[in-house]
Amino acid sequence: MAKHKILVVDDDPDLLRAMRLRLRANDYDITTASDGYMAIAAAQKERPDLILLDVGLPAGDGFVVLERLQQSDALSAIPVIVVSARDPQNNEERALKAGAAAYFQKPADNEELLNVIRVSLPQTSASGARPS
Amino acid sequence: MNDRATHILLIEDNPGDADLVRLKLVESQPQTRVDCVHRLSDGLASLDREMPSLVLLDLNLPDSRGAATFRKILEKAPNVPIVVLSGQDDEALAAKAVNHGVQDYLLKGDLSSKRLEQAMRYAVERQALSRSMEMARKKQIEFKNQFLSHVSHELRTPLTCIHQYVTLLLDGLAGPVAPEQSDHLRTVLRSVNQLHAMIRDLLEATRAETGKLRIEPRCISLSGLIEQAVAMMRPTAQAKQVGLEIRMDTRIPLVFADPDRILEVLINLIDNAIKFTPAEGAVTVKACMAEGLSDMARISVCDTGRGISPEAKNLIFERLYQDPESVDDNRSGLGLGLFICRELVRLHSGTISVASDPGQGSTFTFTLPLYSLTKLLSPVITDQGTLRPSLVLVRVELRPLSSPPRGNWKELWPQCLETLRRCVYLDKDLVLPPTGATGGEEAFFVVASTDMDRSGVMTTRIREQLARNTDLAGKAALTITTLPIELPRTRAESLEEQVEQVTQVVNRMVMNSMAGVRASASAAH
Repeated sequence: MAKHKILVVDDDPDLLRAMRLRLRANDYDITTASDGYMAIAAAQKERPDLILLDVGLPAGDGFVVLERLQQSDALSAIPVIVVSARDPQNNEERALKAGAAAYFQKPADNEELLNVIRVSLPQTSASGARPS
Repeated sequence: MNDRATHILLIEDNPGDADLVRLKLVESQPQTRVDCVHRLSDGLASLDREMPSLVLLDLNLPDSRGAATFRKILEKAPNVPIVVLSGQDDEALAAKAVNHGVQDYLLKGDLSSKRLEQAMRYAVERQALSRSMEMARKKQIEFKNQFLSHVSHELRTPLTCIHQYVTLLLDGLAGPVAPEQSDHLRTVLRSVNQLHAMIRDLLEATRAETGKLRIEPRCISLSGLIEQAVAMMRPTAQAKQVGLEIRMDTRIPLVFADPDRILEVLINLIDNAIKFTPAEGAVTVKACMAEGLSDMARISVCDTGRGISPEAKNLIFERLYQDPESVDDNRSGLGLGLFICRELVRLHSGTISVASDPGQGSTFTFTLPLYSLTKLLSPVITDQGTLRPSLVLVRVELRPLSSPPRGNWKELWPQCLETLRRCVYLDKDLVLPPTGATGGEEAFFVVASTDMDRSGVMTTRIREQLARNTDLAGKAALTITTLPIELPRTRAESLEEQVEQVTQVVNRMVMNSMAGVRASASAAH
């Protein structure tokens, strides 16, 4: 079956590298972006199945990216999980209202994050074949 | 004086005194504008329209007397200098007035134009000075809090990085790890988690200090929450060979509290108890009704540790307090845990305290309000001492379109509740708090002070607002029904009893309705 593709957006290259390693190990295809502008461009070009989005970003913060994605007919259906160092109070509600599927505070628990990624991905017919 | 106290509000009911003061004012300051009112209520209304440069205030007015008079004015206009003009030479009252923030207390009997003019000038100056000091202090606190919040946030970024790479190594994603290496990595991870908890505490404490800590109380079962906390702390207790048990009075009704926050308080107290209890000791979590308080539950965490000294008992809930005897035992955190607990309990209108004798262990006890529909309903369904003439129950049902529900169904509940709260008048309608700890219900209820004919405005508003939630669209079917709340024919005598009667009616209606939901939901499966 085709692997799900995840776009990871973070301005910290070290974190991007770690996320790439972890998600690859869980059998996902990874593409990355390190600022808001590149995030939109990558979403348009790569059409990922899911986006992991940091909030504090150069060139358009995560909320701006979220807004742009929601406004685009082609991209609004992609589930977005916000992963931010910012405190959930104030930011979680704002992110969910802006259309995010979930909000995680860094450092996120890896198992929980992987779980939410799993349930947020569009359910394809192949979903039953995924290792349990 | 010329450029400052040029508009004076004179609150004085005796026309003779008022004229005299006005005359004296105009004598020394011809360009002064004097507005004179005779009642406190008129004075307050005038302050609503326009802030004068100074208030001259008689304390004994037709609608207010003594200290209450200046208190109300101070409350309304905290930044306007107030000079009391009194007929009575009451030293105690004068001292009280000045203590509360009144700038001067003058006797009408020995008032010259010069004395009055001077007093007013000094009052304005003093007020400006104290105001600028107050502002400087506020700015300082704000700066400190901003700094703390910024630093905490900046610390989190590298911490996240450490966390990510340590877990990568531990999970073997960068190649096999020898058992000893893995052991060391787990030690690193433990420290990282500790550091993370400290940063969170720092932010929480800052928030508590600035009044930004919020709770979302709902109707919850205390026993479920205690069991959850104990289950989470069980491994810590076992690692230290400390017993951990629950003693619950099963008759405790539901409490009205924020489950996440109270879990935090419980975990904090249990963690502390385990930390200060030697191996073979025991920690017990108890819950019962509070003695002497019929509407509170009491939760205690008891340990058989070394206890707390009397001096420490008084300070233990203060910010940054560390028991001097425990500091070098192990890394004991920032001393913010109990402070945060106290603030969280306080936000629930509860109290927290500690009882302990050195060598005899300690017992931390806090109280939480029982869930009382009567108490919540009372301010909403009564108006000026009588029951409102007409009440309806609005039931908002959200049924998932797929089973199991798609996506973040649970996350939708707080959003819906928030939307509902925005759709109602908070002083005459009540969105009933959801029951259950996790919000797996399928219906919300609103008690509204309106009648069947006019309830349509509200239900339309609710429907429109909920439809705007794109998360909800496509996931849930919305049904709104309105039922009249039949007020009892034979009314009880006191308003309190009447409210109780209505509460029972509402309770019955909600229960019947929920039972209906359950029945039809199970029939659909």
